[in-house]
Amino acid sequence: MAEAGFTARIRGLAWVLAALTAAVVPHVLHLPAWVTLLLLAVCAWRWTADLRGWRLPPTALRVAVVLVSTIAIFGTYRTLNGIEAGTAFLVLMAAAKLLETRTARDLTVIVFIAWFLLYAALLREQDLLKLPWLLASAFLTAVALMRVHAASAQAPARHILRRTLLLMLQAAPLAVLLFLLFPRLPGPFWGIDSRTEARTGLDDEMTPGDVSDLSASGEVAFRARFFGSTPPPEQRYWRGPVLHEFDGRSWRRPQAQSFPQTQVTFSGPPFRYQVTLQPSARRWVLALDLPSQWPARQVLQSHDLTLLSARPINSVTAFDLVSQTSFTAGLDLAESVRRKDLALPRDGTNARSVALGRALAARHAGNAPAMVGEMLRMFREQPFEYTMQPPRLADNAVDEFLFSTRKGFCEHYASAFTVVMRAAGVPARVVTGYQGGEFNPYGGYLIVRQSDAHAWSEVWIEGRGWKRVDPTAAVAPERIRGGLINSVAADEPVPGRLRDASEAWLQVEMGWDAVNDFWNQRIVRFDAQAQFDLLDRLGVDDPDWRSLGLGLAGSLAAFFVALSAYLAWRYRPPPRDWPARLHAVVVRRLRKRGLEPGLAEGPVAFIERAEHTCPDLARPLADIRGLYAALRYGPAPRPDDLQRLKHAVNSLRP
Amino acid sequence: MRGLLQDLRAPIERRTRAWIRRRQGADMDPVELKRQRIYILPTRLGVAYGAMLFAMLLGGMNYNNNLGLWLTFLLVSLGLVTMHHCHGTLSGVRLRLLEAVPGFAGSNVRFRLLLEHSASVARPAIEVGLGTEAAGTATVDLPPLGTAAATLSVPAERRGRIALERFVVSTSHPFGLFRAWAVVHPAYAAIAWPRPRERGATPPLTATDTGGAQAGASGEDDFAGLRPYQAGDSLRRVAWKAYARGQGLHTKQYAGTDVVSHVLDFASLGGLDTEARLEQLCRWVLDAHERGEAFALRLPGTFIDTNVGPAHREHCLNALALFQGPEQARG
Repeated sequence: MAEAGFTARIRGLAWVLAALTAAVVPHVLHLPAWVTLLLLAVCAWRWTADLRGWRLPPTALRVAVVLVSTIAIFGTYRTLNGIEAGTAFLVLMAAAKLLETRTARDLTVIVFIAWFLLYAALLREQDLLKLPWLLASAFLTAVALMRVHAASAQAPARHILRRTLLLMLQAAPLAVLLFLLFPRLPGPFWGIDSRTEARTGLDDEMTPGDVSDLSASGEVAFRARFFGSTPPPEQRYWRGPVLHEFDGRSWRRPQAQSFPQTQVTFSGPPFRYQVTLQPSARRWVLALDLPSQWPARQVLQSHDLTLLSARPINSVTAFDLVSQTSFTAGLDLAESVRRKDLALPRDGTNARSVALGRALAARHAGNAPAMVGEMLRMFREQPFEYTMQPPRLADNAVDEFLFSTRKGFCEHYASAFTVVMRAAGVPARVVTGYQGGEFNPYGGYLIVRQSDAHAWSEVWIEGRGWKRVDPTAAVAPERIRGGLINSVAADEPVPGRLRDASEAWLQVEMGWDAVNDFWNQRIVRFDAQAQFDLLDRLGVDDPDWRSLGLGLAGSLAAFFVALSAYLAWRYRPPPRDWPARLHAVVVRRLRKRGLEPGLAEGPVAFIERAEHTCPDLARPLADIRGLYAALRYGPAPRPDDLQRLKHAVNSLRP
Repeated sequence: MRGLLQDLRAPIERRTRAWIRRRQGADMDPVELKRQRIYILPTRLGVAYGAMLFAMLLGGMNYNNNLGLWLTFLLVSLGLVTMHHCHGTLSGVRLRLLEAVPGFAGSNVRFRLLLEHSASVARPAIEVGLGTEAAGTATVDLPPLGTAAATLSVPAERRGRIALERFVVSTSHPFGLFRAWAVVHPAYAAIAWPRPRERGATPPLTATDTGGAQAGASGEDDFAGLRPYQAGDSLRRVAWKAYARGQGLHTKQYAGTDVVSHVLDFASLGGLDTEARLEQLCRWVLDAHERGEAFALRLPGTFIDTNVGPAHREHCLNALALFQGPEQARG
């Protein structure tokens, strides 16, 4: 037992350590730093221990390491379940296993953990850009496994690499078949952890500065593919969370909502489109203002007309929607809604703005359209500035903005406008979402980025219902028509796109985005419906689960037949030349006389022996021997020697 | 727990062995491992791999995550492809007996096997063993179009013919997830010589040297073989050519020179039972050979005339090993 503590050099350790490290890389940003550091330290230690022949730690220490780190993970995440905590736990298990790796079996377990880590990375993110790393990493892991199980320690690395690559290439077609045809059962089978990890995107709270922060990200928020006509830029308002509660500084969406549904009548032409949302960990389904049809099983509508997905959007998800940009919404305003959308904090903050609203109401005798018009005129005519870098605001944020700084981003304008309207007795609310979108000519869809995040207001007007008012359009009309780039001062950094990007670079960017879109649509979102469509295109009438199963079984069988044929070909004997073939015939015929070539007996020697053993065949055998020797070893065999040998062999009758 | 598992496994294994034996019958040398006699099952690691893939599949379905599923399917395919490769590594290998190496009872006899194939690609990591966990295995790589030798050691508990009734050729190439194996029931046998008795009793020095020694006293050219050099041997008799070949120091022996000659007689060992007598004779044969002495061996029904050299030694040892007993010899 004492012997077991010492380590002999263990084959493939370096490869396994490399594979494990590569598999942890995609998780590093999500793991607590100490987990990564611990793993790296253990890897380095194990490697040195292998080189120097150090003793592995005693069982008690290993158990202690596992216990302490499990408790630490539990302390960090409050659970061991879910991707975040599960990944950290796996990494620690790999580290603990490294402390006791002695055999090929131990190393194989670590290889399995590396694969599982890659799997977890894929569950977390389906970004096309990260795929090459994950693929290379999966390959490296396979190489490590091959190295661990290779018989001879001396096999050069390039042989191992080539053999593994060969296996991977053979596995690839089968993997594609399984991917296309393996039935996608409608999940989930167990509860999915609500991932609390922060992602960029809209929130149900808005404080001045939030939207401008969001705008600093060039990430894609969603893509929309229109079937038929695309709405013009000034109508591209994508509706997100509606915020009702104001505390003097921030706007919030009330948590418990039990308000009557807003009645909507649509007019004008419908826009049919599919919106493909990037994972946001939220439930908002960004629809063109205002959606009129949506898939009722997956999506519901809040009372304030925002679409909500039934589940948080944790992977790329698409919805088929119809919107109409001309509509009348909420002609009858419920008292509870009116009260909520008129509420202002009673602590006396933003007193000048409230006074401004009251003055407006007095001046226009409650005529809401006139008040709206005057406010917008004020934004337009007084020296208000639209900027991504507004000055910081203190407690009376709206007052400061309206009367002193006068520099702000869309959320400042929407917030100030809504406060003044409420003070004037006009029900008003803030709507957040996105405005705009860039058409990708390669993919034929609109790209909406986080930098298109926007906030605007809705006011309720007697007899006309809820009307969208975008104060930003008054102060910076080019923002609505041409996006952020064209609306802020030339010296402000604009995210996502390079202001001075060359035309060629823009083309490349659009092309890459179209590839990403294809990836999302065809691979990431491949589902049962796509499987049936595929079968349909392959000529299967009325595809169902049964035809899917049959197709899978059939193609699997075909694959295995092909693989067996390949293996038979791979292990085929080398092609034999004519003399060798004819000699094989001679051997077969002489077997009748009980003759068998010896292990080390060449053809000439064998035939010579046969001549002695079977004197009756001596003449033809001697001919055969002479011709064989001439063909095989002779300096210049005559052209008819082969014919003569064939004849001699064929007429040999033992 | 482990003991219980083994208790449960033993009868199953016994039945499987018997079934395979009935199914395949006895094998004639050389044996070709055809595909229908190669069995394959996942190893313990393979089962763990399968469990991991199942968990991945469930998770991918649950999260409706196509990329996770895609990795799962890739690994499933990789596993299935390696299963075929594992099977293919063994299929088409031919085995034949190179040599059955005798040994003494109580130690091992060895069978040297030749593995050959006619594929122009290598077949790595082929293991040859007795198929019991206790016995070790020899691992060989078969080079393209080449051959490899593997040695099987079989413990010899008693003297006589030790048959190799069953051995297993297996591989878990390339990933260790599957193990393919073939069972061979050959007709190989090696001879186990009697276990030599402790040194002690000296053989009777019979004076009845039948003239060979005296008559040939002048014939120093009657070369009989080599024996290991012992201190005191004449340097003129050292086989320098053999030494130059790196075979160590040997002394040339000549029949009919100053050879002390014995007749090692079964009958002279009264008071011992048959096996003990054979063991004593074995010891004497070995000692006499080591000292370079000529000896004859007399067993009931057998007489091996005086001679020297390794061939004579082996001849005598084989006679001892295969001795049937005085009764059979007389009958």
